Amino acid sequence: MKRYEEEVRFALGMGGPEKLAKRRSEGNLNARERVGTLLDEDSFYELGLHARAIREAVQHKSPADGKICGIGTVNDRPVAVISNDFTTLGASSSVINGKKMRHLRELADKRGMPIVFLGESTGARMPDRMGAPGRAILGSDPHEFRRTRRTPWVSALLGSCYGSSTWYGCMSDFVVMRKGATMAVASSRVTSLAINQPIDPEELGGWRLHTESTGLVDVAVNTDFEAIALVRKFLEYMPDHNGVAARFHEVPEGSGENQDEIQKFFPDGRSKTYDVRRILDTIVDNDSLFEMKQRFGRSIVTALSRIGGRSVGIVASNPKNKGGAIDVDACRKVTSFVVMCDSYNIPLVFMVDQPGFLIGVEGERMGAPGRIMNWMNALSQCTVTKISITTRKNYGQAYLNMGGGSTADAVACWPSADLGFMDPKIGVNVLFGIREEDDPGRFNELVAEISQDSSAWSLAALYEAHSVIMPQDTRQYIIDTFNAIDGPSDAKISEHRLSNWPTSY
Amino acid sequence: MAKVEIRSEITGTVLKILVEEGEEVEEDDVLMIVESMKMEIAMESTADGVVKRILVEEGNQIAMGDVAFTVED
Repeated sequence: MKRYEEEVRFALGMGGPEKLAKRRSEGNLNARERVGTLLDEDSFYELGLHARAIREAVQHKSPADGKICGIGTVNDRPVAVISNDFTTLGASSSVINGKKMRHLRELADKRGMPIVFLGESTGARMPDRMGAPGRAILGSDPHEFRRTRRTPWVSALLGSCYGSSTWYGCMSDFVVMRKGATMAVASSRVTSLAINQPIDPEELGGWRLHTESTGLVDVAVNTDFEAIALVRKFLEYMPDHNGVAARFHEVPEGSGENQDEIQKFFPDGRSKTYDVRRILDTIVDNDSLFEMKQRFGRSIVTALSRIGGRSVGIVASNPKNKGGAIDVDACRKVTSFVVMCDSYNIPLVFMVDQPGFLIGVEGERMGAPGRIMNWMNALSQCTVTKISITTRKNYGQAYLNMGGGSTADAVACWPSADLGFMDPKIGVNVLFGIREEDDPGRFNELVAEISQDSSAWSLAALYEAHSVIMPQDTRQYIIDTFNAIDGPSDAKISEHRLSNWPTSY
Repeated sequence: MAKVEIRSEITGTVLKILVEEGEEVEEDDVLMIVESMKMEIAMESTADGVVKRILVEEGNQIAMGDVAFTVED
């Protein structure tokens, strides 16, 4: 009995009172507090509490071997959780905690429950990973990095993240980072030694880099609490596993009451910009818009939402940024979002107002054509129901990327839709070689002429658009369309052709 | 005093500059309008502070990534 009590006390004590006090003074939760914050009260079932390091020399200071693993509930739904205890050998990856993680991954797949990774780790444990024996440890699980999206994975990056926290972050469907945390292949110290240059950790892997430039992080927040709250919220849009659809939620009172306001946010002039998120907020169930990668590829918004209680993924042009012109980062973002939604049976709505792909040397240098085709390939293999609604401009090849033609199951236009191959003013330049300043009268005549065939009505007459709808009817149209095509239940399952595609592009 | 460079997100023509040097701005305030792809695109401040320098002129071309303003907090 005494031994049992001592062992439990040792395991729960993590890296010891001093290290824990230091964390607290810095305003950071410890690994067990994070688990408690994530899960419903008293729901944690722990696996491997008494695990310790395999190397004898550090067994006395390796409670739970630095990674706290188990199963609990979030809003009464089962979730597997791995919380890195940075106070224990820097939560470094080892033989034993590797076994714990592998076991938990297997259980999560078997039962069909999401996994949450609460990341903060130094990377491979030294000296265990040195030499040939170290290589044998590293290569012991050939499937460790196989991502098949049987269940959703979520990562919160809550401190220095190197090694496993980075790898699992990059394999996750949603990643939130606390500002001040870092994520990189190797720490700034190791990197600095390797390249013989001082490295600023924030520059190497801080929140701005990952939310704005790499797109590997969806959102950055200020505290552990905010990060974990977002993890819980994300899971509400997800099914437990890919064999079921996400559960319907009760529609909050007042949802859909302000549809006439859409016109207020939608400008009259064709060249005027606006923030599409105001329109989306009006259309979706109240307070349900959950934007992913908000600071990355900003000319398109990718967001989870609920419409009539159903989980719906939204891909919306945002003219507020770059006039809605689609750049390389936006392509990368949409591809990963389509892959995720298809993998978890979440139907898609495209809201389209885009003047084309952002053309230029910069985009070509970043491989724009390849990114555009990745997106098209994903879309053509995506088997959740897709609705495409053109609100204003819908030009060029991007018309297909945004669900035009036969790439969506239902295609609708607002009466303001304009479906030419390019802006009519550019079209007149290209086709007739006339510039507005040379002959305004003739120029405007030609603009009117080539605009005629690009209206919503022309597209509907060809049955390329299945419906023409008024802006204020958009919400109801989406609800009716999903009910008509998928049925009113939540039973529609995709074929999951994309589920082994990467998480980043 | 941190200096933040506000760079153009797109290549186009500077249509209108909406602030003056010395003016206080907040993050997301519109600093100028750039015309590109037949759209009038608002360029916003990415930081709170005072507009220290304006490096563009109305009617001139600007390339993606060019510094248009500096803002100091």
